[in-house]
Amino acid sequence: MASDEFSVYMSGVGGQGLVLLSNVMGSACASVGIQAITGEQHGLSQRSGSINIHMRIGEQIRSPLIPIAGADAILALEALEALRYVEYLKPGGVVVMNKRIQHPIIETIGHMKDKATRYMSVEEVKARLSEVTDKVAVVDALEIAKKAGNPLTENIVMLGALSTLEAFPIPEEALKKSIAENVPKKAVDVNLRAFDLGKQAAFETLCNIVKCKK
Amino acid sequence: MGSADVVRDGPAKAFMLCNEAIVRGAIEADVKVVSAYPGSPTTEILDTFSGVKSNFDYRMEISSNEKVALETCAGAAMVGHRSISSMKSVGMNVASDSFFSLSYTGVKGGMVIVMADDPQAHSSQTEQDGRAFGPSAYVPMLEPSNPAEAKRMVKLAFDLSEKHGVPVLMRTTTRVNHQSGIVELDKIVRKPFEKLDWSHAPARFTTVADTARKFKLQLLERTKRLEEEFNSSDLNRVEGTGSEVGIVTSGAGYNYAVEAARILGIKPSILKLGTTYPLPKRLIADFLKKVKTVIVVEELSPYLELHVTAIAKDANPSVKIIGKWTGHFSEAFEYNTNIVVDAFAKALGLRTPVDYDAVMAKAEELKKGLSDRPPTFCPGCPHRATLWALLQATKGMKHILSTDIGCYSMSFLEPLNYGDSMLSMGACMGVAAGMQYAAKEKVIAMVGDSTFYHAALPGLVNAIHHNDDFTLIILDNEVTAMTGQQPNPGSDYNAGGQPAKRIVLEDVIRGMGITDITVIDPYQAKAVVQPIKEALARKGPNIIISRRACALYADRNKRKRGEAILSNKVDKDVCKKPYACIRSFNCPAISIDDDDRKATISKELCDRCDVCAKLCPFGSIKLREGE
Repeated sequence: MASDEFSVYMSGVGGQGLVLLSNVMGSACASVGIQAITGEQHGLSQRSGSINIHMRIGEQIRSPLIPIAGADAILALEALEALRYVEYLKPGGVVVMNKRIQHPIIETIGHMKDKATRYMSVEEVKARLSEVTDKVAVVDALEIAKKAGNPLTENIVMLGALSTLEAFPIPEEALKKSIAENVPKKAVDVNLRAFDLGKQAAFETLCNIVKCKK
Repeated sequence: MGSADVVRDGPAKAFMLCNEAIVRGAIEADVKVVSAYPGSPTTEILDTFSGVKSNFDYRMEISSNEKVALETCAGAAMVGHRSISSMKSVGMNVASDSFFSLSYTGVKGGMVIVMADDPQAHSSQTEQDGRAFGPSAYVPMLEPSNPAEAKRMVKLAFDLSEKHGVPVLMRTTTRVNHQSGIVELDKIVRKPFEKLDWSHAPARFTTVADTARKFKLQLLERTKRLEEEFNSSDLNRVEGTGSEVGIVTSGAGYNYAVEAARILGIKPSILKLGTTYPLPKRLIADFLKKVKTVIVVEELSPYLELHVTAIAKDANPSVKIIGKWTGHFSEAFEYNTNIVVDAFAKALGLRTPVDYDAVMAKAEELKKGLSDRPPTFCPGCPHRATLWALLQATKGMKHILSTDIGCYSMSFLEPLNYGDSMLSMGACMGVAAGMQYAAKEKVIAMVGDSTFYHAALPGLVNAIHHNDDFTLIILDNEVTAMTGQQPNPGSDYNAGGQPAKRIVLEDVIRGMGITDITVIDPYQAKAVVQPIKEALARKGPNIIISRRACALYADRNKRKRGEAILSNKVDKDVCKKPYACIRSFNCPAISIDDDDRKATISKELCDRCDVCAKLCPFGSIKLREGE
């Protein structure tokens, strides 16, 4: 595969704003003349279910779906959803995942019936992912989003973190311009703040384990 | 992305969802009438047309069902205007009655029907292969692989339609509709909307007996002309020459075939078909003559494979054809690059660069104990409350639940597993009629408001006329919720926010002769159990209307009005862990605290429908302080 290609598998729970992320990245690509395609999920699965978007950047890529073991990175807006799609990660690929867990209702019911069970934790997810890669970064996106001024900007916090990767091909300026064009006018400032705070967080949790941009 | 790019004048480049690119193409083609019913994976076509409507002068409606939508487009095209409709695979079944006739009568203005199949049945009842509609109705069919191609094709489809006087089918699949990519925007040149004169011979669009036979001969000639045109159309192209290995493919299959060849480091000749009915037989024959092995990559039925095999009989009888019949590909489920890589490797004796089985095995090991997360009712969803109440009201009562298509269909999924049958839009009524003849148990039918107007009305007429003994529950949440809260005949507005006449459910039902109507607000929780119980005990046909707006729709309206969305919390000093808020209610905003095992409510997820508070016997659930 060409070295200028970058595929990121984005996952989360319905309602977390994954589609906005792919739109921000794709529009930024269009503005600077980089080829990008996505495979998205709309419809039934959005109802608080597990969702995913395949985001693929590169001149020769035609398939909207990332092959198994083909993702340079997994960007998970919810921690369990990073583990759910682990087969898509390239060996040694990067996982950037939110610290937040939304307990699936099925797990809660099991929990109600059996007092001995505990929810799967972020630490557990991280430990399991570490069996296939040594590059797992956890970002407390909800806290950071609140600090930025709106808890709904978790997705942009995570994008900010991802964008620090050296292999991430979209220039920051284009990305920020695209954020400004794709979010509601009154939410531009808070989203740009969320992006910067996400970047900052990555310097502490991500850039010590993987090569980042200067 | 989105509406801004759909209205932006070209030339320019934009990143667009394929469904948006289709709309953009139609707008560049100066479409004048748009009519559709929502259905995944086509819904964003309707949503985008509706969202940008104020920028253009096309006429648009969100129709009560796909048949009406197609007929609306047909009528406009008979007069002479360009029209477009979009529908999912099973919507095409509903519309198909008129579709077949329309192929006979033809059209004057260009007419395009976007029909999207859903391999993998992501959000459909079946995996049906709609490509059968093209040949069985003699309607030309185009298949794009990506957004840029879809936009170009929809414009060509209008020209083709007008040139040959026939509606054109553009067939897509989920992974094409829900693919975004870079699209070239052309200049938008539109003529002002004006009504046209009806200037046809009498009965020009009437088909039966003599006229049908005349039309049939004409459409056979038309199909011959189309095939000749497609033999040299650039919608069909050969990529790469000189290889002994050829690939024949179209639509989503093309995307995977290109990537699979790249992964395996091979350079086959690829015949990419953009016109899949009528097939360009001469072009396919020429292609087959140049290769020793041909691999057919297509999802679902072996449609291309059948024709490739037939054409090869004369063109190149010794060519080896690899496909579903050789066991290399399945007729089930959608494909992806890995499936195609494996098939190519097996057919050509190559090794895959990654041991996919080993990767999957390791992944399964890591995921042991990871809870599934199927789609479920949103926090605040009135269906959750209705189903909770129905479960309480039917305790100890043997019954059958005949359900229908909508968000409430999810009741059969984990964790409720409630519901006995679900076939198609509106089917709950006819199925319930049959069940009440055959079964000893009480029969309950359940349908949403949009589905009720879509295809359940004739079923209700039938049930009333025959005095069928079942209770119908209509879940009236004001909108077509499942597909993204579009307006329906029960709304007082329609596409683009234009005002519309609201149909009143009770008036319709009373008008048909039923007076036994029980209206409940599901948010009242325990208080509605008894009225449901009583209604179910009476002889049918009778009706329960559970009325409460879709929570997502209500939230959107609240945000528009600047109202805060409040949340509840659990007072841990009062909670005695009866889990009444979890049991049979299953709200994703509620979980159990690992430390004290008491219920806890997520501030971010809670919608404050307040039903859980009404279910708690200790009154431990209260409005979150400071709100």
